[in-house]
Formats: sequence, structure tokens, C-alpha cells
Amino acid sequence: MNTITAPAIEYLQLAPLLIVFGAGILGVLVEAFAPRYLRRAMHIPLTLLSLAGAFALVIVQTIKGVPTKPSAMGAVAVDGPTLFIWGTILVLAFISLLLLNDEDHFVPAASAVPGSAEEERALIEGNVHTEVYPLALFAIGGMLLFPASNDLLIMFVALEVMSLPLYLLCGLARRRRLLSQESAMKYFLLGAFSSAFFLYGTALLYGYAGSVDLAKISTALSANVGQDALLFTGAALLGVGLLFKIGAAPFQAWKPDVYQGAPTPVTALMASGTLVAAFGALLRVFWVAIGELDWDWSPIMWGVAILTMVVGAILAITQTDIKRMLAYSSIAHAGFLLVGVVAIGDAKQNATALAAILFYLAVYGIASIGAFAIVTMVRDAGGEAWHLSRWAGLGKRSPKLAGLFAFFLLAFAGIPLTSGFFGKYAVFQAAVAGGAVQLVVVGVVASAVAAFFYVRVIVLMFFNDPAPDGPTVVLPSWGTASVVGFAALATVVLGVFPQPVLDLAQSAAGSLFVR
Amino acid sequence: MTPALWPPTAQEIVFLLLSVVAVGSALLVVTTRQLVHAALWLVACFGALAGCYLVLTAEFVAWVQVLIYVGAVVVLMLFGIMLTRAPIGRTADLDSGNRVVAALVALATAAVLVTVVIDGFRSAYTPLDPGTGSAKSLGGSIFRTWVLPFEALSILLLAALIGAIVISRTDIKGRE
Repeated sequence: MNTITAPAIEYLQLAPLLIVFGAGILGVLVEAFAPRYLRRAMHIPLTLLSLAGAFALVIVQTIKGVPTKPSAMGAVAVDGPTLFIWGTILVLAFISLLLLNDEDHFVPAASAVPGSAEEERALIEGNVHTEVYPLALFAIGGMLLFPASNDLLIMFVALEVMSLPLYLLCGLARRRRLLSQESAMKYFLLGAFSSAFFLYGTALLYGYAGSVDLAKISTALSANVGQDALLFTGAALLGVGLLFKIGAAPFQAWKPDVYQGAPTPVTALMASGTLVAAFGALLRVFWVAIGELDWDWSPIMWGVAILTMVVGAILAITQTDIKRMLAYSSIAHAGFLLVGVVAIGDAKQNATALAAILFYLAVYGIASIGAFAIVTMVRDAGGEAWHLSRWAGLGKRSPKLAGLFAFFLLAFAGIPLTSGFFGKYAVFQAAVAGGAVQLVVVGVVASAVAAFFYVRVIVLMFFNDPAPDGPTVVLPSWGTASVVGFAALATVVLGVFPQPVLDLAQSAAGSLFVR
Repeated sequence: MTPALWPPTAQEIVFLLLSVVAVGSALLVVTTRQLVHAALWLVACFGALAGCYLVLTAEFVAWVQVLIYVGAVVVLMLFGIMLTRAPIGRTADLDSGNRVVAALVALATAAVLVTVVIDGFRSAYTPLDPGTGSAKSLGGSIFRTWVLPFEALSILLLAALIGAIVISRTDIKGRE
């Protein structure tokens, strides 16, 4: 009599998530019980194998057929777009973790005061914080859960699971530690603030619809008329929380500081994985839950998209720190992606726009990891050569590396024969089909402005004379080398022959989000 | 059917009194000049909130509020005050220079939320059935409908614990 019916959990559909979280927990056990010298050797295969296994399971799920209704008591929707996003995030996370494997990105003793004797001693003793592996896995698990959430409550939990480990990882850079700690603090405070916005929005929408389920909010839109204040305020607050995560203007202030301060592999993970996950969640909220309301939110989204593109492109020009510049470039790209979010219409139009966004996310993520991987290789005595002036003449010293970096920058700029071109083309084309021609014009102008600062760096690298005490290029580890190789290969192949991945994105988007 | 607003029922009177206590003690938390008093006013505020939950038949949430917020959070704060060199007693510089701006922001936020909630619900009425907030029904929905968020929250806690160890442990030895 006093029994609870067991919940129905579709374990196979959730398997990629469960594997990543399970590996994270195993990683914690490794931390607890394995001797210190063995830990790294155990973490690396565990982490990489779990990500590869999760990717294989995503493929199995895709072949078996895409589920048509939400799983796990309606908490998670494993639909076509989710599977594509999962695949993308897992690939991006795998290559980011290859980058993270390198010995010297993380602080030897996080609790030691920067510059203290204690820190010095930890450095000499060869301490490493191997906890970064389980923390990264937890963050990646959160990234998988976030875009798949089918109700606002699990979305909030996923947002926190994704962000909290990232706040911590940001503060663990080995060099420029004060900057790193400042970035972690800033990210944590602003992130907590944006989470509060998200939660308030959730509460108000729950008050409006009587449910946190995205599909039920959508049905409530036609049923509950006359409570518009509740609905609009709730949707606006929710939007603030989500736009903060993708770094859209006017909520972009954290991005340059955090990207600059965080250890570069973590920056790479955030610039790719977090952006993909946050866009997935944003699309789900705006297209599924309040998709019927697009007449009301799309003017605001227009404004946000324009502001984001302009702010990202223009402020990037004034930057002198290479990582800050890439951060502003990431803001501009978030703006280009928002152009696709506005292009909502009938089912066919939605599928086109969604496919374009998915493709763009995949190619941008890969190229940005490649670019950050190269940033880790150009070193000064005190760590990475962060000041742009130090990159002058790099093309004459190590033409291969500078050439690859130039290639990634051209991909960001969207030059033909790189993957970035097709990404931008697909998104802008979808937006034109959706009737947002003026927005596309702004997008093209912003791309031109953005191209200016990408080309400026290329000119700096190839047409300036190297300083006599210029930075050295370290011999990359196998991990970093393979990351750069893979990213360059993917950028070329997708730039010349994008059709297979475009087809994949189209078939993933064809089924749209389940309701 | 909406019952008449006047005369108020006993439940409504108790609820109103408790809310007055909650709001009043919350104001005292931020205006008192003694740190320990602020923590103790917080106890009163959380306690009154727990009473509100109880009146609304959310008995389990009320006890959790008492256990977690009054029992754990405030005690943790008091321990924090005790174990650090935080000034105990009347402190003149407890007020921040930004308090006018902060008060304005707080007032604006409150105004927006109150207007939205009043405008959204006006005279909406939900009958309070005893038992809807019992531990049994809450447990049933947590471990059935909300089982996945619940498990994900445990991951979040684990990640937070690991993170706390990473950034605070000082006794890390070199390679063995």
C-alpha cells in the first residue's frame, strides 16, 4: 500500500550522460584511493575512454532511431538536435581534454598564496591537481544535460552542474595567478547572479503556466490569456539567464576577463562546449516553450543580436591580449548565431535555421579549440606570450605554426574554403529565408569589421620583423599536436566538402525539438 | 469559487502576522549594527517563513526550512563569526558606502516582483487541502517525477565538495 511506483527511466537513451557522470565519479575514487604518482596515468585513459564511449553510444542511438518523446519522466528530451549537440560537445570535449592533459597549465597548489614560498615548494615537488579531470567531466556532463533538458527545473540544475566546475577550473591557471583567481571570482559572482535571474524567470513562468515543463508552458500560452505581465517578466528574466551564458551583449562583460584569466585549455573548453550547450538550451526555451510568442521576443532578439555582433567586432579591434581578442571574437560569433535564432517561422524554416545553427556551432567550436591550442604553444619566459605585440614576426620564425593560426583566424572571419564560410553562409541564408534581411546586412558588416582584426593579426605575424627576444614556440606534446592537426583538418575538410556534416545537421534538425 | 475577502479566516490572519514578522526581521537583519544580532534576526526571519509554509500546508518544506536554514545555515554563520576575527559587538563601519544605491535597487526589484505577482494573480484562489505538502507526497514526486534532477543535484554537490578541497587544502604533499 505505501509504495511508490518506480519511475520509468530509459537508461539506454541517457547512457551517454550516465557514462560521463559515472567516469567523473570514478575519477573522484581514483583521487581518493590511487597513489599520487599513478593518478594522472589512470585519469587520462578513464576520461578519454568515457568520452569516446559516450560518443559511440550517441551514434548507436542515432542509428537505432531518434526517440519521439521525452525520457526520464519527461525531464530530458533525447531528440535529433540533442543527439547532434551531444555528438558535437563530446568531440569538442575530447579534443579539449587532450589539450588539458599537458603538464603545465594548472597550478601546483591552488591554496598557496601566489608568489609565496609555499607555491615555489609545491612547484619544485612537482605537485599537480589531478582533480581537474573529474571536475572537467562533471562540467561536460552538465553541458550534455543542459541542452537536453525538457523542463526548466532540470535545466537550472544542469546549468549549475555545468558552471560550478568551470568556475573552479578558471581559478587554477599556473601563470598570471592573480588574474586567474580574479576571473574565477568574477565568473562565479556574475554566474550566480545570472542563475538567480534564471530561477526567478522559472518561478514566474511556473506561476503563469502551472508547470515547468517546456511543452506545457507552450500549451499554456493559448490557454491562459490575461496574465501577460507574469509571462513576459518570466520570459525576460529567463532570457537574461540564458543570454548571459552565451555571452550576448549586454551580458558579455564576463567573457573577456574569464577567457583571459582561465587556463587556456579550460578557455578552449568554455569557448566551444559551453557555447554549444548554452545555445542548445536557449533554442529549446525560445523555440519550444515560448516559440508561439515569437512576435513578442524576436524584436528584442534582433536588438540583442545586433548589439552582440557590433560590440564583439568593434571592441575586439582595441584588444592587445590575444586571449581577450579571441573572447571578443567569440562574442561576435554568438551574435552571428543569434541571427539564426531569430529566423523562426514554419516547421520547414525552423528546420533550416536549426540545421544552420548546429553546423555553425560545430565548425566554430572546432576552430576555436585549434586557435587556443596554438596560443598555448607560443611561450615567453613567464608563460604564454599573451601580448599581441609579442606575436609580431612569428610567421618568419615558425611559418607552419603562424600559418595554422592564420588559417583558424580566416575560418573565424568566414573566408571561403574554410569551414567558417559555410557556417556563416548557412546561418545568414536561413535568416534571409526567415525575412530578417536587415539583420543579415548588419551581420555581414560586422563580419567585415571582424575580418579586419583577424587580418591585422595575420599581417602582424607575417609582415612585421620579429623582436630579437621574441617568444619561443614550444615543441607540442602529442596531445596538443593532434588537437591542432585535427582542428586544422576539420576546418579544411568542412570548408571544401561540408555536405556530409550539413546533411547530418539537416537530418538532426528535421525532426525538430520534441515536445 | 472565490470566498469573500472579509472577514478573514483564522489561517489568513496567522499568515499575515507571520509575514509581518518575516519582513520586519528581514529589515532588521540589514539595518542592525551588530553582526551577531543580524544572524539572530535571520533566525527569526527564517522561522517566520517556516511558519508561513506550515500555514500553507507545506509541512515537510516547513521542517526542512527549520532544519537547513535555521539549524544549519545560521549556525554555520555564527561559527564563521566566532572562528574568524570578525568584529563582534556594535560596529560603526558595518554600513557600506553603496547603501543608498543598494536600497534603490532592492526597492526597484521588490516593486517589479510585487507588481508582477499582484497583476498576475489578483484574486486567484487555491483551496488548501491538508496532506498535499506531506513528506509522503513530496517524497513520491521527488523520487518519481523529479528523480533525474535530484540525482543531478547530487553530482553538483560532489563537484562542489571536490572544488572546495582543491582550493582550500594546504597539506598536499609532493609525489610519493
